[in-house]
Amino acid sequence: MEIVRVTEAHELAAEDQRFCDATKAWFKIDFVPKMSRVLLTVPEFGRPYGRASRRAMADGALTRAQKELIATMVSAINVCEY
Amino acid sequence: MAYVAGVTHALNAVADGLRLSPEFSPSPRQPVLPLPDPAQAPPEVKAVFDEIVGFYALDRPPPVFRWMARDVGFLQSYWPATRQAFTDRTLDRLMKEILAFAASMTGKSDYGVDFHLREARRLGLTDQALTETVEVVQLFNTVTKIADALCLQPDFDPRRSDHLGAHHPAPSNTARPSTNV
Repeated sequence: MEIVRVTEAHELAAEDQRFCDATKAWFKIDFVPKMSRVLLTVPEFGRPYGRASRRAMADGALTRAQKELIATMVSAINVCEY
Repeated sequence: MAYVAGVTHALNAVADGLRLSPEFSPSPRQPVLPLPDPAQAPPEVKAVFDEIVGFYALDRPPPVFRWMARDVGFLQSYWPATRQAFTDRTLDRLMKEILAFAASMTGKSDYGVDFHLREARRLGLTDQALTETVEVVQLFNTVTKIADALCLQPDFDPRRSDHLGAHHPAPSNTARPSTNV
Protein backbone atom coordinates (compact mmCIF):
# COMPACT_ATOMS: atom_id res chain seq x y z
CA MET A 1 0.00 0.00 0.00
CA GLU A 2 1.47 3.32 -1.04
CA ILE A 3 2.14 5.74 1.80
CA VAL A 4 1.55 8.84 -0.32
CA ARG A 5 -0.97 9.89 -2.92
CA VAL A 6 0.80 9.59 -6.25
CA THR A 7 0.26 12.69 -8.34
CA GLU A 8 -1.95 12.12 -11.36
CA ALA A 9 -0.38 12.98 -14.71
CA HIS A 10 -2.84 15.81 -15.37
CA GLU A 11 -1.83 17.44 -12.09
CA LEU A 12 1.77 17.86 -13.17
CA ALA A 13 3.09 21.14 -14.51
CA ALA A 14 2.10 21.97 -18.08
CA GLU A 15 5.69 21.92 -19.24
CA ASP A 16 6.04 18.38 -17.92
CA GLN A 17 3.21 17.04 -20.06
CA ARG A 18 5.59 16.74 -23.00
CA PHE A 19 7.91 14.65 -20.83
CA CYS A 20 4.95 12.47 -19.86
CA ASP A 21 4.11 11.92 -23.52
CA ALA A 22 7.74 11.10 -24.25
CA THR A 23 7.75 8.62 -21.38
CA LYS A 24 4.70 6.83 -22.74
CA ALA A 25 6.31 6.67 -26.17
CA TRP A 26 9.62 5.50 -24.71
CA PHE A 27 8.00 2.58 -22.91
CA LYS A 28 5.26 2.02 -25.53
CA ILE A 29 2.55 2.28 -22.90
CA ASP A 30 -0.65 4.28 -22.64
CA PHE A 31 -0.17 5.65 -19.13
CA VAL A 32 2.47 7.57 -17.20
CA PRO A 33 4.25 5.24 -14.74
CA LYS A 34 3.97 6.05 -11.07
CA MET A 35 7.70 6.57 -10.74
CA SER A 36 7.68 9.26 -13.42
CA ARG A 37 4.82 11.01 -11.64
CA VAL A 38 6.54 10.73 -8.28
CA LEU A 39 9.78 12.14 -9.66
CA LEU A 40 8.03 15.06 -11.35
CA THR A 41 6.07 15.95 -8.25
CA VAL A 42 9.15 18.00 -7.39
CA PRO A 43 10.12 19.19 -10.88
CA GLU A 44 13.48 20.52 -9.73
CA PHE A 45 14.33 16.92 -8.88
CA GLY A 46 12.40 15.06 -11.54
CA ARG A 47 13.43 17.02 -14.60
CA PRO A 48 17.20 16.63 -14.26
CA TYR A 49 16.78 13.06 -13.03
CA GLY A 50 14.63 12.32 -16.07
CA ARG A 51 17.21 13.78 -18.40
CA ALA A 52 19.97 11.71 -16.77
CA SER A 53 17.81 8.61 -16.98
CA ARG A 54 16.88 9.05 -20.62
CA ARG A 55 20.50 9.68 -21.51
CA ALA A 56 21.79 6.69 -19.56
CA MET A 57 19.19 4.22 -20.84
CA ALA A 58 19.58 5.01 -24.54
CA ASP A 59 21.48 2.69 -26.85
CA GLY A 60 25.23 3.17 -26.49
CA ALA A 61 28.06 0.74 -25.99
CA LEU A 62 25.34 -1.35 -24.34
CA THR A 63 21.93 -1.71 -25.93
CA ARG A 64 18.80 -0.44 -24.24
CA ALA A 65 17.73 -4.05 -23.71
CA GLN A 66 21.00 -4.87 -21.98
CA LYS A 67 20.56 -1.82 -19.77
CA GLU A 68 17.05 -2.92 -18.86
CA LEU A 69 18.52 -6.27 -17.81
CA ILE A 70 21.01 -4.49 -15.56
CA ALA A 71 18.14 -2.45 -14.12
CA THR A 72 16.24 -5.67 -13.48
CA MET A 73 19.25 -7.14 -11.71
CA VAL A 74 19.55 -4.08 -9.47
CA SER A 75 15.84 -4.32 -8.68
CA ALA A 76 16.17 -8.02 -7.89
CA ILE A 77 19.12 -7.55 -5.56
CA ASN A 78 17.29 -4.70 -3.84
CA VAL A 79 14.16 -6.87 -3.63
CA CYS A 80 12.18 -4.02 -5.17
CA GLU A 81 8.77 -5.20 -6.29
CA TYR A 82 8.03 -1.99 -8.16
CA MET B 1 19.58 -13.78 -15.43
CA ALA B 2 17.93 -15.24 -12.34
CA TYR B 3 20.58 -17.94 -12.05
CA VAL B 4 23.29 -15.30 -12.29
CA ALA B 5 21.55 -13.26 -9.59
CA GLY B 6 21.27 -16.24 -7.27
CA VAL B 7 24.75 -17.63 -7.71
CA THR B 8 26.43 -14.22 -7.56
CA HIS B 9 24.54 -13.21 -4.45
CA ALA B 10 25.37 -16.51 -2.76
CA LEU B 11 29.08 -16.50 -3.60
CA ASN B 12 29.38 -12.86 -2.53
CA ALA B 13 27.60 -13.61 0.74
CA VAL B 14 30.02 -16.43 1.51
CA ALA B 15 33.12 -14.52 0.41
CA ASP B 16 32.29 -11.28 2.21
CA GLY B 17 30.83 -13.07 5.21
CA LEU B 18 34.04 -15.05 5.69
CA ARG B 19 36.15 -11.96 4.93
CA LEU B 20 37.86 -13.67 2.02
CA SER B 21 40.34 -11.36 0.30
CA PRO B 22 39.45 -10.05 -3.15
CA GLU B 23 41.49 -11.85 -5.77
CA PHE B 24 42.67 -8.90 -7.85
CA SER B 25 42.73 -5.85 -5.58
CA PRO B 26 44.86 -5.11 -2.53
CA SER B 27 42.94 -5.71 0.67
CA PRO B 28 43.73 -5.91 4.37
CA ARG B 29 41.04 -8.56 4.81
CA GLN B 30 41.94 -11.83 6.44
CA PRO B 31 39.67 -14.88 6.27
CA VAL B 32 37.90 -15.57 9.55
CA LEU B 33 38.49 -19.29 8.96
CA PRO B 34 41.45 -21.05 7.33
CA LEU B 35 41.22 -21.98 3.66
CA PRO B 36 42.51 -25.31 2.40
CA ASP B 37 45.82 -25.08 0.57
CA PRO B 38 45.24 -25.91 -3.13
CA ALA B 39 48.66 -27.53 -3.29
CA GLN B 40 47.52 -30.07 -0.71
CA ALA B 41 44.17 -30.76 -2.42
CA PRO B 42 43.21 -34.40 -3.05
CA PRO B 43 42.84 -35.45 -6.71
CA GLU B 44 39.06 -35.06 -6.80
CA VAL B 45 39.34 -31.46 -5.56
CA LYS B 46 42.24 -30.72 -7.86
CA ALA B 47 40.14 -31.86 -10.82
CA VAL B 48 37.48 -29.27 -9.96
CA PHE B 49 40.07 -26.59 -9.29
CA ASP B 50 41.57 -27.25 -12.73
CA GLU B 51 38.17 -26.65 -14.31
CA ILE B 52 37.70 -23.44 -12.34
CA VAL B 53 41.06 -21.93 -13.19
CA GLY B 54 40.51 -22.88 -16.82
CA PHE B 55 37.05 -21.30 -16.91
CA TYR B 56 38.28 -18.03 -15.40
CA ALA B 57 41.77 -18.09 -16.93
CA LEU B 58 43.42 -17.86 -13.53
CA ASP B 59 46.59 -19.38 -12.16
CA ARG B 60 44.94 -20.44 -8.89
CA PRO B 61 41.42 -21.16 -7.69
CA PRO B 62 39.59 -18.13 -6.21
CA PRO B 63 39.30 -18.11 -2.42
CA VAL B 64 35.55 -18.69 -2.43
CA PHE B 65 36.03 -22.03 -4.21
CA ARG B 66 38.97 -22.91 -1.99
CA TRP B 67 36.59 -22.47 0.92
CA MET B 68 34.06 -24.78 -0.70
CA ALA B 69 36.75 -27.44 -1.03
CA ARG B 70 36.41 -28.11 2.70
CA ASP B 71 33.47 -30.26 1.58
CA VAL B 72 34.46 -32.02 -1.61
CA GLY B 73 30.97 -33.20 -2.43
CA PHE B 74 29.56 -29.71 -2.09
CA LEU B 75 32.25 -28.22 -4.33
CA GLN B 76 31.73 -30.96 -6.90
CA SER B 77 28.01 -30.19 -6.96
CA TYR B 78 28.01 -26.41 -6.72
CA TRP B 79 30.77 -25.63 -9.20
CA PRO B 80 28.99 -27.16 -12.24
CA ALA B 81 25.89 -25.13 -11.36
CA THR B 82 28.01 -21.97 -11.14
CA ARG B 83 29.65 -22.75 -14.46
CA GLN B 84 26.28 -23.33 -16.13
CA ALA B 85 24.90 -20.08 -14.75
CA PHE B 86 27.76 -18.18 -16.40
CA THR B 87 27.99 -20.14 -19.65
CA ASP B 88 26.91 -18.63 -22.99
CA ARG B 89 23.22 -19.24 -23.55
CA THR B 90 20.55 -16.72 -24.48
CA LEU B 91 22.74 -14.21 -22.68
CA ASP B 92 26.41 -14.36 -23.47
CA ARG B 93 29.06 -14.75 -20.84
CA LEU B 94 30.14 -11.12 -20.96
CA MET B 95 26.60 -9.89 -20.34
CA LYS B 96 26.28 -12.30 -17.44
CA GLU B 97 29.49 -10.95 -15.91
CA ILE B 98 28.19 -7.38 -16.37
CA LEU B 99 25.02 -8.42 -14.55
CA ALA B 100 27.05 -10.07 -11.80
CA PHE B 101 29.12 -6.90 -11.47
CA ALA B 102 25.91 -4.84 -11.20
CA ALA B 103 24.58 -7.26 -8.59
CA SER B 104 27.84 -7.04 -6.64
CA MET B 105 27.85 -3.24 -6.69
CA THR B 106 24.24 -3.15 -5.56
CA GLY B 107 24.94 -5.70 -2.84
CA LYS B 108 28.03 -3.73 -1.79
CA SER B 109 30.22 -6.80 -2.16
CA ASP B 110 33.93 -5.93 -2.29
CA TYR B 111 34.73 -9.48 -3.28
CA GLY B 112 32.12 -9.59 -6.03
CA VAL B 113 32.95 -6.21 -7.52
CA ASP B 114 36.61 -7.15 -7.70
CA PHE B 115 35.98 -10.58 -9.18
CA HIS B 116 33.28 -9.76 -11.73
CA LEU B 117 34.85 -6.51 -12.91
CA ARG B 118 38.06 -8.37 -13.65
CA GLU B 119 36.17 -11.14 -15.40
CA ALA B 120 34.04 -8.75 -17.45
CA ARG B 121 37.17 -6.84 -18.47
CA ARG B 122 38.83 -10.07 -19.49
CA LEU B 123 35.82 -10.95 -21.65
CA GLY B 124 35.87 -7.58 -23.43
CA LEU B 125 34.07 -4.95 -21.32
CA THR B 126 35.12 -1.53 -22.65
CA ASP B 127 35.52 1.67 -20.62
CA GLN B 128 32.39 3.11 -22.23
CA ALA B 129 30.32 0.02 -21.49
CA LEU B 130 31.60 0.06 -17.90
CA THR B 131 30.58 3.71 -17.53
CA GLU B 132 27.13 2.96 -18.91
CA THR B 133 26.75 -0.03 -16.60
CA VAL B 134 27.60 2.02 -13.52
CA GLU B 135 25.19 4.76 -14.61
CA VAL B 136 22.34 2.26 -14.84
CA VAL B 137 23.29 0.78 -11.47
CA GLN B 138 23.25 4.27 -9.95
CA LEU B 139 19.95 5.24 -11.56
CA PHE B 140 18.13 2.11 -10.48
CA ASN B 141 19.56 2.13 -6.99
CA THR B 142 17.97 5.58 -6.83
CA VAL B 143 14.52 4.66 -8.09
CA THR B 144 14.27 1.34 -6.31
CA LYS B 145 14.87 3.08 -2.99
CA ILE B 146 12.37 5.81 -3.84
CA ALA B 147 9.84 3.15 -4.79
CA ASP B 148 10.45 1.20 -1.59
CA ALA B 149 10.39 4.31 0.61
CA LEU B 150 6.95 5.18 -0.76
CA CYS B 151 5.80 1.53 -0.97
CA LEU B 152 4.92 2.05 -4.62
CA GLN B 153 2.88 -0.80 -6.06
CA PRO B 154 3.91 -2.07 -9.52
CA ASP B 155 2.48 -0.45 -12.64
CA PHE B 156 2.21 -3.87 -14.25
CA ASP B 157 0.81 -7.19 -13.11
CA PRO B 158 3.84 -9.53 -13.13
CA ARG B 159 1.60 -12.62 -13.30
CA ARG B 160 0.29 -11.63 -16.70
CA SER B 161 2.30 -12.37 -19.81
CA ASP B 162 0.14 -10.01 -21.89
CA HIS B 163 0.71 -7.00 -19.66
CA LEU B 164 2.99 -5.03 -21.98
CA GLY B 165 1.44 -1.64 -22.41
CA ALA B 166 -1.49 -2.45 -20.18
CA HIS B 167 -2.09 -0.41 -17.09
CA HIS B 168 -2.40 -2.24 -13.78
CA PRO B 169 -3.79 0.53 -11.58
CA ALA B 170 -3.65 0.44 -7.83
CA PRO B 171 -7.27 1.07 -6.85
CA SER B 172 -6.33 2.59 -3.52
CA ASN B 173 -4.29 5.33 -5.10
CA THR B 174 -6.91 8.04 -5.26
CA ALA B 175 -9.30 6.83 -2.59
CA ARG B 176 -7.12 7.36 0.44
CA PRO B 177 -6.19 10.79 1.76
CA SER B 178 -2.49 11.05 2.51
CA THR B 179 0.51 13.28 2.08
CA ASN B 180 1.47 14.18 -1.43
CA VAL B 181 5.12 13.65 -2.47
